Amino acid sequence: MYAKLVFRNAKQSVKDYLVYIVTMTICVTLFYAFLSISSSYYSPDIGSEYDFTLLSDGMKIAICMITLLLLFLIRFVNHYMLRRKQKEFAVQSIMGMEQKTIGRIFFAETLIMGMFSILIGIFCGVFCSQFITAMLLTAYGKPYEISWTLFPDTVLLTVVFFVASFFVVGIFNTRTIQKTKIIDMLSAEKENEPELKKSRFIPVVVILFLMFTLWELFSGIQNVRFYYDSRFVFPVKIMYWGNILLPVVTLGWAALWMLKKKKIAFQKLIDGLLICSVLHVFLAASVPALTNQYYLPLHGGILNQYLVFVLIDLLFFICALIYLASSLIVAWKVKSPEHRYKGENLFFFGQIISKLNTTSKTMTLICITLVLAIFMFIAAPILTGWASGYLDMRSMYDVQVYSRYNNVYEEENLPQDSYEIITEFLTEHKIDTVYDCTFNLYLSEKDDFHNRQKYDFPIVAISLSDYNTIREMLGYEQISLEEDEFTTQWKAIATEEERDNFLKEHTSIMTDAGELTLSGQSYYEDPIGETAYNSYTNVLYVLPDNICEKLLPVIKNRYITTTENISYENARKLEKLFTEKYPEQAETGAIYGVRFSTLQINSSIANNFILQTAMIYGAVVLMVICLTVLSLQQLLDAGQYKYRFSVLRKLGVEEKHIGKLILQQLSVWFGLPIITAIIVAAVVIAYFIQTISAEISAYIGFGALMLQIGATMGILAILLICYFISTWIIFRRSVNP
Amino acid sequence: MNTILKLEHIQKYYGNEGNITKAIKDISFSVEAGEFLGIMGASGSGKTTLLNCISTIDTVSAGHIFLEGTDITEINPKSLARFRRENLGFVFQDFNLLDTLTISENIALALAINKVPAGSVEPRILDIAGKLNISDILNKYPYQVSGGQKQRCACARAIINNPKLLLADEPTGALDSHSSQMLLSTIQSINEQLRATILMVTHDAFTASYASRILFLKDGEIFMELRKGNDSRSDFFDKILNVLTMIGGGQSHVC
Repeated sequence: MYAKLVFRNAKQSVKDYLVYIVTMTICVTLFYAFLSISSSYYSPDIGSEYDFTLLSDGMKIAICMITLLLLFLIRFVNHYMLRRKQKEFAVQSIMGMEQKTIGRIFFAETLIMGMFSILIGIFCGVFCSQFITAMLLTAYGKPYEISWTLFPDTVLLTVVFFVASFFVVGIFNTRTIQKTKIIDMLSAEKENEPELKKSRFIPVVVILFLMFTLWELFSGIQNVRFYYDSRFVFPVKIMYWGNILLPVVTLGWAALWMLKKKKIAFQKLIDGLLICSVLHVFLAASVPALTNQYYLPLHGGILNQYLVFVLIDLLFFICALIYLASSLIVAWKVKSPEHRYKGENLFFFGQIISKLNTTSKTMTLICITLVLAIFMFIAAPILTGWASGYLDMRSMYDVQVYSRYNNVYEEENLPQDSYEIITEFLTEHKIDTVYDCTFNLYLSEKDDFHNRQKYDFPIVAISLSDYNTIREMLGYEQISLEEDEFTTQWKAIATEEERDNFLKEHTSIMTDAGELTLSGQSYYEDPIGETAYNSYTNVLYVLPDNICEKLLPVIKNRYITTTENISYENARKLEKLFTEKYPEQAETGAIYGVRFSTLQINSSIANNFILQTAMIYGAVVLMVICLTVLSLQQLLDAGQYKYRFSVLRKLGVEEKHIGKLILQQLSVWFGLPIITAIIVAAVVIAYFIQTISAEISAYIGFGALMLQIGATMGILAILLICYFISTWIIFRRSVNP
Repeated sequence: MNTILKLEHIQKYYGNEGNITKAIKDISFSVEAGEFLGIMGASGSGKTTLLNCISTIDTVSAGHIFLEGTDITEINPKSLARFRRENLGFVFQDFNLLDTLTISENIALALAINKVPAGSVEPRILDIAGKLNISDILNKYPYQVSGGQKQRCACARAIINNPKLLLADEPTGALDSHSSQMLLSTIQSINEQLRATILMVTHDAFTASYASRILFLKDGEIFMELRKGNDSRSDFFDKILNVLTMIGGGQSHVC
């Protein structure tokens, strides 16, 4: 009998469950599609020179971590269903059905719906995983073909994961149903969530914020004590003192409120703190900007600390703004009777204020999550672009042997070997070389050998003939130098300003073999790899051969290009042989390393892919969670809204106006958190881009970045519009008679 | 006296061809300006259907309804809402107040919807609140006041636009006897002092006894008409009970 009831209920309430099914299907689709890559049956044709296992393990962990977030969504949707069905439960229990049975029936219903969603979800997932395979093969630079396959292990994992989560959530639901009183079930439809004003959420946030302000104050004082100089320019002075004064003002305002608690409303306190937090965001964000501009002596730790401060101020800004949103609307309403008594505005204000009062906590969380999602969406292409751009700079040679003298203190311990082991291995495996260049890097002045200060590390020099061989290897034109002339070679990361300043100050240099003047062609920028420079420097001198013979060689490198790619296996073997003979930290203090383009490309493509996929997956999951919760929040109250709109109709409001009211209400509901999130995310991203602007211009290029950001924003906008329109349609349908 | 509302051979059918329910068979009557008309009848006699037809919420199957000479059965559906808010006022059994707005805002909403200039909204609310004795609860929310106060607020909202006709559907249905009495006195004073025309549907004899004329419906037709004339209210009440006994719906009141 009960089984019949379950099936009939499930069949009849498919419409009720639509939101549930759609949400669950999206979850399953995302889960299956991303996880399918890590399946052991998955073998895309990425070529023998690459290995795929590294990627699979990383993917599996990343996806499972992110999917934990989905549990919240499953729980929320279940809560929504539970509230929707309260009245039905009440009738059933009044008729005499045990609440335990009701709980079980509900559980069985949701399980059937869940299974249904898993089926559709896996089907959609197979489709979606094609996109991801396409992404992967493009990442490895291979052509792409569609293949329809179902991976048994992924299917099993998906089913197990979701069924397990259904059971966990189901147990909670059954308990909730058992504990609810019948009278509460009956009145559930007209009930609102408890008001936030009475909850402790905001007071706790304020206390935490004040504690952080105290920390900001201390670090501000410390910065002035240790790093302040009265010769600084005016903006820098403002930054130093502002970072002390503003926290003082913030704390002072809070103290004043404590003293005059009865006279100043709690809202006024929040008003003040909100203004302070906005000002402080700008002050804290100016720290790295000014540090870059004026070369202030603030180190990375302090900059990271200020990044934390910016984040905390922004978080508080979100909490306070949404908390105050309803009182701002009230204040505006009170001040302008023209707006208040214009058409249906009174009704509109009433709707928004009552909803905001009861759900600001949810709204705040949604807003913060949205910021995170937007940030991940935009940071993913930046980070992967950076990494793959860097890869192009690093993996220019098939084999690249390099050394460092950073820990060598005796001249006889300097690396001088010519790495014959490589030659032996290549001949043994019949790998032909096209170019093979072993060369020294010299110190222009011997006295610099003992200079190991990070900020003043000596620039090394290369002989003209070696430099020309390298250029030939990479297909660049040869260069020439007059006698007693030198020129420079620059890393891509160096800025134009840095280069120009350097060249202005170094029109001539002193070497152990005499003075040299800067050549007419004073610099070259064609990338030649990162290992041709000394540590911590972005520039390399190119000196005539006869000069170099008289200088102290400190670094020995060897670059080789081969006729065909070295396979993944051989590269691993040779790497092992090499590190056995030349350990990374030799007893002499010299540092040796070998890089193979095969291995570099493989690991960095794999890492990049994991990073990008995980970030995009995470961002999509967060985005879907936020938007679903936002739209469910509105639909949850459809019962109340139906009544309210029917009153309006009886008062003689046209359908057109009612449609407009619904649109307005939904726009505010979606607009407030999304616009706040976009503003905050813009600040965070601007800060992020500003701190790594050198890397972006070196490895990605701002044009390409803007294009990527534009495309991402486009996708977000489409997702948002889809959610908005479907909520709007369901909402209209549920308030229409 | 001029006729404000005139119904001519109203019919209302529900259902499809094979299975027709006649909610209203054939009803004709007219209401004079300033009259307080009661409509009584047992459940299923068609009184709510009749009210819905007059209030343009429902459409008639046949016949015509004229409000001050305008045939409201011929009005374009798009301008019905406008017609409703300009000409009719409603009081419902379950108040129909918005719990997101204060009492004063609930009344103001009716004015705002009718595009009354913002400056004159508040004086008008204060004026009507004084007349209906709800001045001291204007800033409270509906859930903070009693049922009687809510219904008086609903009355204030209904008459603030000076409608040609005030329609009341079981206004005392959700109130206790004391609150009912107070509300009915209020409605009566609205009728007498503000010269409002009122059409009230009820099944309760006591409530009906405040009207000046009563139409009794039975099975979708007018069964009888009763005028108060110069009778006292208690005499009128007795007459109503007698009619109800005749119809067969009100024995309990007599026994």
